[in-house]
Amino acid sequence: MTMARLTLTNGKSVVKPFNRIWIVLAVVIVLGLIFGYIIKLDSEGISFKPDQLPIILKKLFSPHRGETWADYFAYIPKLQNVLIMTLEMCYGGTVIGSALAIPTALLSSRNIVKTKWIYGPARFLLNLFRTIPVTVLAVISIGLVGIAGGSTLAGTIAITLFTYGVMAKMLYELIETIDMNCYEAIESTGASHLQAIRFAVLPQIYASFAGYVIYVFEMNVRSSAILSYVGIVSIGTIMRIYEMTDYDKVGGAVILLFGVCVVIQLCSDLARRKLQ
Amino acid sequence: MIRFVDVQKTYSNGVQALKGVNLQINDGEFVAIIGLSGAGKSTLLRSINKMIPITSGQLYIDDIEISSIRGKALRYLRRSIGMIFQSFNLVKRMSVYNNVLTGRVGYHSTFPTLFGLFPREDKILALDSLDALGILDKAFTRADQLSGGQQQRVALARALTQKPKLILADEPVASLDPITTVQVMDDFARINKDFGITIVANMHHVDLALKYATRIIGIRDGIVVFDGLSSEVNEQILVEVYGRTLKHNEVLGE
Repeated sequence: MTMARLTLTNGKSVVKPFNRIWIVLAVVIVLGLIFGYIIKLDSEGISFKPDQLPIILKKLFSPHRGETWADYFAYIPKLQNVLIMTLEMCYGGTVIGSALAIPTALLSSRNIVKTKWIYGPARFLLNLFRTIPVTVLAVISIGLVGIAGGSTLAGTIAITLFTYGVMAKMLYELIETIDMNCYEAIESTGASHLQAIRFAVLPQIYASFAGYVIYVFEMNVRSSAILSYVGIVSIGTIMRIYEMTDYDKVGGAVILLFGVCVVIQLCSDLARRKLQ
Repeated sequence: MIRFVDVQKTYSNGVQALKGVNLQINDGEFVAIIGLSGAGKSTLLRSINKMIPITSGQLYIDDIEISSIRGKALRYLRRSIGMIFQSFNLVKRMSVYNNVLTGRVGYHSTFPTLFGLFPREDKILALDSLDALGILDKAFTRADQLSGGQQQRVALARALTQKPKLILADEPVASLDPITTVQVMDDFARINKDFGITIVANMHHVDLALKYATRIIGIRDGIVVFDGLSSEVNEQILVEVYGRTLKHNEVLGE
């Protein structure tokens, strides 16, 4: 791991600098060893039972004892109400959260706001905000608006906040990679900062932004399942209610969730191709 | 009319780019600024539309001292000055037409333009500018689909759409091939003659500068070392500007 000296055919030599990837690899391996050691220390209570896996899968993805496959698949359409509620809050949360993220992302971008006193605190607050797990956001939202009558408002607020944090971060990193030459050109025509942002920044980010929105929407659909554990009604509620008794119903909900995510993925690919 | 009175520019890293420049450029002139890289050509050019603010001295444009103006007054100044860049600086993902329309942005308040709304006259003006540069057929093509020469013409159309009195060009042909270079320089000459727009261009091809500009300003280390008609430029003057004799292939823009 020393710097390599390479000699050319005519006798000249150059020193090739040390490649930093080796340091990164070394850190990863050392951390892996440390964590591996810790886990081994307190793994006594864990019993690894690989033979359980096929049993669990069979319970999830086959009809209940005494029922037929027709019964199994007949259950999935009954989930349409929870599915609609899930999509409703994920859609609302993703759209509102993404829209709110745009101004914050602009304020956090070093190439747009050149004042350290603005982008510094903006980034710091965003980082702080993102440390709050989505379940905690959900608990706070429930505290604010309640979940009486199966309202999706609390869930929508939780997903809005979560989307806002993730999206603002992804967006300012995107904005910092754009070409700023055209920004200078548009400013030189007498445009204000906002106008220069509108005509030089937005056209460069909107395609990727649309891709991010769809990606975060899909992420939200999946994570809304977890929100059911703090009381928000979503497709995850089915999984939670039946997790001890009717594995086949949980399996049906998993299949539905999988199907929805695949459809969103397909839409995302299509949208990207059309917008590029 | 542009007038520099003892203009100095020192960057925050201590580099002194302009060391007391005195100049007057009259309306309708075609001026080429020549000099080595780092001599201060770009700083000089960008100080005229205050894309780079000067450190001391006075800079007058039509008898308005610009070093103190800001906000709306600065935007009014900038919209009357077109600017052309070496790398064209178009918004690559936008259509040619929308790129050219951005030349009108400075004429309107922020709100309607945020929605991309422009009056009909502006749209016609944008198309007229494209037509004047012979690229009307490319109007609804994405800017990054065009060749370098075509992109620079779009940039010229954007500048024309501003209805400017003056066009500043920072190495406008430095990234173009020799044939396209001549076409774009011909466009500059035509705009100068037909529209009466003053052209101030940084050039590093001396032969092109001498061929197209009526007046040459040579700068070296932030000081104007030559200011005169193109016809007056001789080898001795070039030695003074560049610090040494130029070889034949350095004078020619190939």
